[in-house]
Amino acid sequence: MSRKAISVAALTALALTGLAACGSETDDSAVPTKKGASQVAVKLVSGSDGDVCELDTDTAAAGPVTFTVTNESAAGVTEVELMDGQKILGEKENLAPGLPGASFTLTLGGGDYEIYCPGASEERVPFEVTGEAAAEPTGDAAELLASGAEDYTTYVRTQIDAMVVGVQELQKAVDSGDVAAAQKAYADARPFYEKIESDVEGFVMQGFDPTDNKGNLDYLIDMRASNLDEAVGWSGFHAVERDLFEAKKITDQTKKYAADLVTNVTKLAEVGKTLEFKPEDLANGAAALLEEVQSGKITGEEEAYSHIDLVDFANNVEGAQQAYAALRPGLEKIDAELVKTIDDRFTAVTDDLAGYQDPKALGGYRAYTAELKASDGKKLSATVQSLQDVLGRLAEKAATA
Amino acid sequence: MATEGKGLSRRRLLAGAGGGAAAGAAVGFLGGRAVSPAEASASDGLDLSKAYDFYTGDHQVGIATPPQRHLVFMSLDVVEGTTAEELKVLFARWSAAMATMMKGNPVGSVEPTRSNGVPQDTGEAYDLSPASLTITLGLGPGLFDDRFGLAGRGPKLLAEIPRLPSDELDPELCGGDLALQACADDPQVAYHAIRDLIRIGRGLVTTRWTVLGFGRASAGKGQKTPRNLMGLKDGTRNIKSEEELDEFVWVADADEPAWMRGGSYLVTRKINMDIEVWDGTTIDTQHVTIGRDKAEGAPLGGTKEFDTPDFEAVRDGKPVIDPTSHVALAASENNGGAKILRRGYNFTDGLNSLGQLDAGLFFIAFMKDPATFVELQRKLGRVDLLNEYIAHVGSAIFAVPRAPKSGHFLAQELFG
Repeated sequence: MSRKAISVAALTALALTGLAACGSETDDSAVPTKKGASQVAVKLVSGSDGDVCELDTDTAAAGPVTFTVTNESAAGVTEVELMDGQKILGEKENLAPGLPGASFTLTLGGGDYEIYCPGASEERVPFEVTGEAAAEPTGDAAELLASGAEDYTTYVRTQIDAMVVGVQELQKAVDSGDVAAAQKAYADARPFYEKIESDVEGFVMQGFDPTDNKGNLDYLIDMRASNLDEAVGWSGFHAVERDLFEAKKITDQTKKYAADLVTNVTKLAEVGKTLEFKPEDLANGAAALLEEVQSGKITGEEEAYSHIDLVDFANNVEGAQQAYAALRPGLEKIDAELVKTIDDRFTAVTDDLAGYQDPKALGGYRAYTAELKASDGKKLSATVQSLQDVLGRLAEKAATA
Repeated sequence: MATEGKGLSRRRLLAGAGGGAAAGAAVGFLGGRAVSPAEASASDGLDLSKAYDFYTGDHQVGIATPPQRHLVFMSLDVVEGTTAEELKVLFARWSAAMATMMKGNPVGSVEPTRSNGVPQDTGEAYDLSPASLTITLGLGPGLFDDRFGLAGRGPKLLAEIPRLPSDELDPELCGGDLALQACADDPQVAYHAIRDLIRIGRGLVTTRWTVLGFGRASAGKGQKTPRNLMGLKDGTRNIKSEEELDEFVWVADADEPAWMRGGSYLVTRKINMDIEVWDGTTIDTQHVTIGRDKAEGAPLGGTKEFDTPDFEAVRDGKPVIDPTSHVALAASENNGGAKILRRGYNFTDGLNSLGQLDAGLFFIAFMKDPATFVELQRKLGRVDLLNEYIAHVGSAIFAVPRAPKSGHFLAQELFG
């Protein structure tokens, strides 16, 4: 029934467009315009064969086009996208029956597009833009995202350089035998790794079997008691941490751990500097850093001896923020509301974190003790999870912009 | 928790149990009117393909709906700083998702076509039948404080339950700004519903407490009376007719907000049972405590489950049904005719720190005026013989809005 309604409206629109093209300068009188933008109403309704995505017209003239989406009764559809091939040009989320209509405006060049209504009985509805006028190239989301990804590559390289220096300083302090100085150097070295860990994980050194942790740089640098592989033994940051904060002693073994750490981080830096990032990598990386916070820091598992988990937490978040900031201008073109949600949730997390700052504490944040975890862990976890959920949904948009 | 005092009272019980061996008794944690035995002995089979419609435009499902076999109940808090506009979108998204899941459909894609997509539906109910899933939304008193711009718009009878006698409440098991009750004949269907609704609400709501219920512990219309974990029939005299629902359950008061008319008030109590202690009591003690026999569920002095209890009957100079038995205290005839609709479930949380079975009854009741529960429980909490074997550890109250029509969402008028 609703399908028919579309075709009739579409035929009328085409007929009038055709007439106009034959006889006069003014065209597209069939499609209403407002403030110079063609108006397209997208209605989501519940039909006998499932939910239907209904357009009042399936064509518009090249130039600005405003899509107003109203979910009248389609409980199974919550978002609508305008697609150009595989690219998302614009979208509306959080659509549900009973809410007022929501609109987005795009400048479109002539060609064939699709309205994508995931969950509808027919998810893709063709939409045609007539006329030659190409869309204004300025502000193209894909270009903005690509340029953001380049900026981010530079950021990662800077952090990698600093990370190498950080572990070298740690080694020096360990070699000096001064436990307090080494503890401080440890807390100073961690942030660089934590900011970019999701970008540099998963590297296996050449000549090693992927199932052998001896060749896994990740393991060698960041293993902890909870994932100790007896066949390889202790190694990396947390081996040093254990000696400095649990035994509070520097032995020859500690010095060996620190020296190996420098070697492995230097190897990681070599690989890391050749990395190139695509926009979706940034989105995935940002979400993965938040996942690290959730699974390693809020549990207090990461820094089991030094309890500087909140330092790691803050730097995971900062790394995620950098990746997100690089994507933000492009994302704003696609879904400004989502950008606002993410901004707000980053603010919620950083506000929470600010409450734990302590300039006198190692790394600048209060120690994450068992007591603090018991009293504050639930709240921190909820705030982080709400950010991670939205960041997790970014990659799809970044990849298809 | 068996203090010396309680031990003494148990002995008193035994001494007074003389006539208790008479036939029949059933427990209801609270009272109700009897229905005919024929109605109650109807088939208890399962039809997993059964689906309920969310958009009734009248009462929400999960209240008068015959209780399904499994429950997931989740109490939630609204995150500080959330706006009424955000809550409005949340209620709209939730309503749409509830309607979709109750049909047995996923909420969004389980298998996104784009490789970078995150599945919208979590998938564990993907191949499962609707299993009579009902999802019911409740609004707690906290929703109408000064945090979300909804102050003054709440239902007029919605207020925290006052402290009641014998309460041993743990604040972590109490209250909540919002509640979601999912009931289904397949536990995975109910779990999936709650999980995906939490996911939709992430950033706006956080989990507060939850109860997983099984083996419904209150009979609905046409169902055999089920048993609670004390082994006693529960809900023999529960509300089952339309007339009683209108009289005792559905809010009709013109002074209530429009979205509450056709709704109800929901009270939950998490009631721990001292399982091991109860299991060690004699059958006489069990009879006297409840006022009914165990196997048949007949009131003491009667012979059949649906016999009307005779609270006046005396034998050897003593009442046949102890006036402090659970049935005597809760019966509507002893409470000015007051009734509530019970819809509770058994629950277990595994073992407690002493290695005992940590289990009990998750009491759920619907009523048009929460004062009915408060008055009943005030009385039960003071003198109920059952108190010796139970402890109320959780408590909450929620307003349950009327269900929307298609094209609308729950409590839509709340947002003006």
